[in-house]
Amino acid sequence: MTAPVEMERPEVEEAPTPDTPWVTVVWNDPVNLMSYVTYVFQTYFAYPKRKAERLMLDVHEKGKAVVSEGSREEMERDVEAMHSYGLWATLQKAGDRG
Amino acid sequence: MTASFHAAEIELLRSLVGQLLELVRGDQTHKQDEDWAAALGLAEDEPKRPTDPVLLRLFPDGYDGDDEGAADFRRFTERGLREAKSDNAATVLASLATTEGIEPEERRQRNKTRIELDAHQAEAWLRTLTDLRLALGTRLGVSQDDEDEWERLPEDDPRRHIHDVYNWLGWLQETLVRTLSAGLE
Repeated sequence: MTAPVEMERPEVEEAPTPDTPWVTVVWNDPVNLMSYVTYVFQTYFAYPKRKAERLMLDVHEKGKAVVSEGSREEMERDVEAMHSYGLWATLQKAGDRG
Repeated sequence: MTASFHAAEIELLRSLVGQLLELVRGDQTHKQDEDWAAALGLAEDEPKRPTDPVLLRLFPDGYDGDDEGAADFRRFTERGLREAKSDNAATVLASLATTEGIEPEERRQRNKTRIELDAHQAEAWLRTLTDLRLALGTRLGVSQDDEDEWERLPEDDPRRHIHDVYNWLGWLQETLVRTLSAGLE
């Protein structure tokens, strides 16, 4: 039997959670066609039609929708892609109110 | 896929896409000497937030309420986005140019000119039609469900004509999206 050893516990820091800390938000605009926005969500994100349509309706009716989550770099890529399609998009930390 | 246009429609598209190309290329084309510096990140003329609402809509902020983040994002993306939009517009112009050389008489007889688009060209058309509609829509100040207001404008109001063009581009894009979407399923 051995005496319990005092283990030094690693200090728990406010480590950034690398999993899904950022999101891409697409905002409503009066120009883009509903069919086109759905098409972009289907082709760029490879979302099934049903999910793409639900996100499109969220953008249209609620004014915006979170369309993807991931690292900051991934979300910058997604926002840049949305801009290349002519969609109005921004990225922000998950949980932040836009 | 095939699209059919009247000669006047082709002229209209050529003019609009040509103007869009100039707009998205901006002053970059006049600064080719400085491109090497830009490639090395030495250029002083980093893209600034546009003051023109049309350019701001085509190249929006990547961050909402974070000026520094938005400026960084613009520095890393705007040049590439301008190039991509220019390439798309140039692709559309090239596909419209395939109708050149057809005699006006023959064109009249045919009534409509057919343009063949492969997948790459169709994608360029889709994005360019979007950019054109964003530009015209922003210039006109369109808003959600405002069709009646435009209908009420006097016949000779130039904005009414531009809005007709805007609507026609929307119809064209809707047709194209429907065709491409059918291919996804």
